[in-house]
Amino acid sequence: MVVLLAAVVIGGLVWLLWLVRRSRGGTRPDHARTDSAGPGFPGRPLGGKRVSPALMSQGRIDVRGLTKEYGGVTAVDDLSFTVEPGRVTGFLGPNGAGKTTTLRMLLDLVEPTAGTATIGGVRYADLDQPIRRVGAILEAGAAHKDRTGRNHLRIVCQSAGIPLARADEVLELVGLAVAGNRTFRGYSLGMRQRLGVAAALLGDPQVLILDEPANGLDPEGIRWMRDLLRALAAQGRTVLVSSHLLGEMEQLADDLVIIAAGRLAAQGTVASVIGSMTYLSRTLVRTPEPEKLAAVLGGDAVVTPAGDGGAYITGADAVAIGDAALRAGVAIHQLVTQLPDLEAAFLELTAGKAAIR
Amino acid sequence: MTALLDSAALDQADDTGTTPVRLLRAEFMKIRTTDTGWLFLTCFIVFTVLALTINGFGNHTQLYPQQGLVSPAQALAQTAHFRSPAGVAAIAASMMTSGQLFGVIFALLLGVVVVTSEFANQTAAVTFVTVPRRATVIRAKLAAAACCGALFWLVGTVLAAVATPPFLYSQHISASLAGWTVARSVLLNLLAFVAWGVFGLGLGAVLRSQMASVIAAIAVYAGSFGTIPIFTVLYNLFHQGWMLGAPVIGPAVASEVMTSSGPAFPNAPPAWVGGIILIGYVVALAAAGLALTKRRDVI
Repeated sequence: MVVLLAAVVIGGLVWLLWLVRRSRGGTRPDHARTDSAGPGFPGRPLGGKRVSPALMSQGRIDVRGLTKEYGGVTAVDDLSFTVEPGRVTGFLGPNGAGKTTTLRMLLDLVEPTAGTATIGGVRYADLDQPIRRVGAILEAGAAHKDRTGRNHLRIVCQSAGIPLARADEVLELVGLAVAGNRTFRGYSLGMRQRLGVAAALLGDPQVLILDEPANGLDPEGIRWMRDLLRALAAQGRTVLVSSHLLGEMEQLADDLVIIAAGRLAAQGTVASVIGSMTYLSRTLVRTPEPEKLAAVLGGDAVVTPAGDGGAYITGADAVAIGDAALRAGVAIHQLVTQLPDLEAAFLELTAGKAAIR
Repeated sequence: MTALLDSAALDQADDTGTTPVRLLRAEFMKIRTTDTGWLFLTCFIVFTVLALTINGFGNHTQLYPQQGLVSPAQALAQTAHFRSPAGVAAIAASMMTSGQLFGVIFALLLGVVVVTSEFANQTAAVTFVTVPRRATVIRAKLAAAACCGALFWLVGTVLAAVATPPFLYSQHISASLAGWTVARSVLLNLLAFVAWGVFGLGLGAVLRSQMASVIAAIAVYAGSFGTIPIFTVLYNLFHQGWMLGAPVIGPAVASEVMTSSGPAFPNAPPAWVGGIILIGYVVALAAAGLALTKRRDVI
């Protein structure tokens, strides 16, 4: 009887306190909004120092033969690539390609089945004071919902032996100073991403590893992120960033690593990766006699209507088309070579590599 | 190390990095900066006050048997027993450990939450990227859970120490709270709170899912008491003597055997047996939690 009474009273109290907590949190949205941090979040400009050349070599990321098997599925398959310091490297791949698994193996969160992933030649777990060397964002929602952003950062500082005042510095750096004492539950997705960046910058690291940092950011937030990452790379830091936003990556990245079905599909500068896809280029032609032009081109040339009186021609470049038109006496009003963009190159490189394996 | 981002704070950083003491302080910060720990402590305080009140009424009934419920002769014998030095000490000990039987559940659940909230809120990756030596992190969490158990014990004991002397005075009995019987119960109570805090943490580290761990913790605790009727039935069927003391294999029964000033159940083994069994469970769970956390992928 007494036990029953005690159980009822405790249950009632827990329920009451839970209700109070809910009502306190009720003024704050639980869901992640996709609005920006807003004009009240300007952020602070970065300092102007540069990583010394001697230190830069310690920021090179080297992945060699990295493999991870889960049950019977090979999530990452003999993957090798290098990420250079002083550059922004985009890490691209379809859903399920193994990007997140690779980044987690790099950070020693996931044990590789085979191969190595090192930073400056050293495994992450063997780094002295890793947070002072490497900053990472793995999940935009990686903070306790009932903890303030400031306390989240202070706990990381405390764990890593960094003065707690550093939390306020990075909050100001990412433009979250005014929201630092609000609980994470009330943060928009954009603010959550900024908090993730703040956490990554706590140790002023030479290497930044960011998994989808632009997810959920509005155009202003995306521009802020782009400027920040470019500035960090310009200081000599290594920036490895995965993303699905191909247009954004084309603007942001210097180098690309593209994977599909756990294997390397392409690596190089953005220009070289796109340049290797020249067979995807096409020529827009405007002529009053498209059929006649198609007949004289012959060979591998394929002519498809562009819909507005023009035609796309593949299998023959602009020079060949111009020469053929001259020989046949066909008037040409417009002749434009259209190179593939990153999206076209990406889709071509990853085509047929099933995302769900 | 020079800060590239013009940081006054980092310029003053102590570059000795992570130490166990820093990690323990970080764990305390984690507990302090969310509502859960405070919620459990508040509930524990309310529960302890309630338990003290109920226990007081219970002891009053023992000291002053109600007319009609027992015969006058039985009432005299009962009063004489409870007013003997041993009886008075037992009453004082029971008052000083009021609510222990269910109070340790709060320490147990806080231990569970300390580790499972890292997985529920996806902060485990942040924690293990900050400190890749996972065993050090789990050891800090074990120490934090033990300290939280000790804090619950301290709060409960202070409340009991405030309430017990006026109660004894009101019942016209005098007992020294510094006597061995009381001190032994209070100290074993501390061991129980610390053990259950660590038990919860080990369980949470093994299961990782917060919901599963909380359900398992309550099921293990409450289910332990099921061993008493089960072994009674088995004894009636097979008449093996060892079956009478066997319920002590339930962790909560072992805890009760360890802390109880009298026999926790008929034919209960001595307190040290309960203590060894409880500590055995705690050590096994903590070791399993450590080993699994070191080996498992954080995804």
